[in-house]
Amino acid sequence: MEFYTKPGEYDPINYVPHTESHGTKELWKTFWILLGITLLDFIIYFALGPSGYRNFIFIFFGIVKAYYIVGAFMHLKHEKINLALIILVPTIFILGLIMGLLYEGNALSMIK
Amino acid sequence: MDFLVFIPLFRTVEFTPMANHSEASFEKMPMWAGGRSPFNVSYGKLMMWIFLLSDAFTFSSLLVQYGAQRFSNIESQVTTKWPDPASIFNHFPFIHGIHLPLLFVSVMTFILILSSVTMVLAVEAGHRNSKKEVQKYMLYTIVGGAAFLGCQAWEWSTFIHEGARLWGNTFGITEQGYKHLSEVAFGDHFHWEEGDRTNGPVPFAALFFIVTGFHGFHVFSGVVINVVVYIMTVRGVFERRGHYEMIEKAGLYWHFVDLVWVFVFTFFYLI
Repeated sequence: MEFYTKPGEYDPINYVPHTESHGTKELWKTFWILLGITLLDFIIYFALGPSGYRNFIFIFFGIVKAYYIVGAFMHLKHEKINLALIILVPTIFILGLIMGLLYEGNALSMIK
Repeated sequence: MDFLVFIPLFRTVEFTPMANHSEASFEKMPMWAGGRSPFNVSYGKLMMWIFLLSDAFTFSSLLVQYGAQRFSNIESQVTTKWPDPASIFNHFPFIHGIHLPLLFVSVMTFILILSSVTMVLAVEAGHRNSKKEVQKYMLYTIVGGAAFLGCQAWEWSTFIHEGARLWGNTFGITEQGYKHLSEVAFGDHFHWEEGDRTNGPVPFAALFFIVTGFHGFHVFSGVVINVVVYIMTVRGVFERRGHYEMIEKAGLYWHFVDLVWVFVFTFFYLI
């Protein structure tokens, strides 16, 4: 069921702000960046042997890809900064959790 | 939600108790005093963002579990070392017996990124209220999602065929196996020989199935949502509504699915 407001009425649940199109240029640019980084992943995998540096590079590339997907495709770059922070601040906590647990996992292997 | 039922256009009287502000005075309302959205997004889109955040927590907990298990895994008499994923996932459809590590999963990543691009093009077409283009790009996105699911199904069936189960697997590579692997290069003929593999660490296959299965379930539900939204577009529901915001919300979900795949790909195959 949809509710149409009469002119002069504001419906807080169904209100949709008017959006303008930003054009496709930035989107295609983002696609080529994502493709390039994936190819780099592929090349670096074989160029470097298994090492901490390589892992760090992969995680860094993952974060770069996340920036482009969330910023450009999901449009978060163009939203109000408050909304962006709602997503980003908990994510930083998750990153901290990942790093802590990787360290603990490594420590656990020493104890086992 | 009028998915498949034709609803004639009619106007109803809004009865929410506080909806007596005019569209023009929306801008004049204080931002954080309630009664209006403090962001420049609608209620539905904000809720989708918050749902995606909660889903990100769920996937993070799975990936963190993977990290902890993998890095604490040690060799014992029962299981061997955690196998290098590139040695296990070296197959490609229709090309038997050639050692092609990482290639197939890179193709899957490309398919999903491409479907993300077509999805965001559909959203952009929705901003211009162009029904034909929205339909076209939504269809491409659905095809991309279905292709990804097919690829994942092939990967699973090959993996199961090689002996992976939730409760055990034969991917413990022995010394002989590592020697054999060190002699093989990208694109060479390669077959596992007797004594190359023994019982491997149980979490290897179990976590693979759980995490890629959970992600695949998200892709599947994303494809279902995209199909529903596509049908709604074809039937002109959004044209009548005057905006294509539902496409944006479905797009947010689809991009989230793509983003999770980027991290699953990084953690399971690269690191």
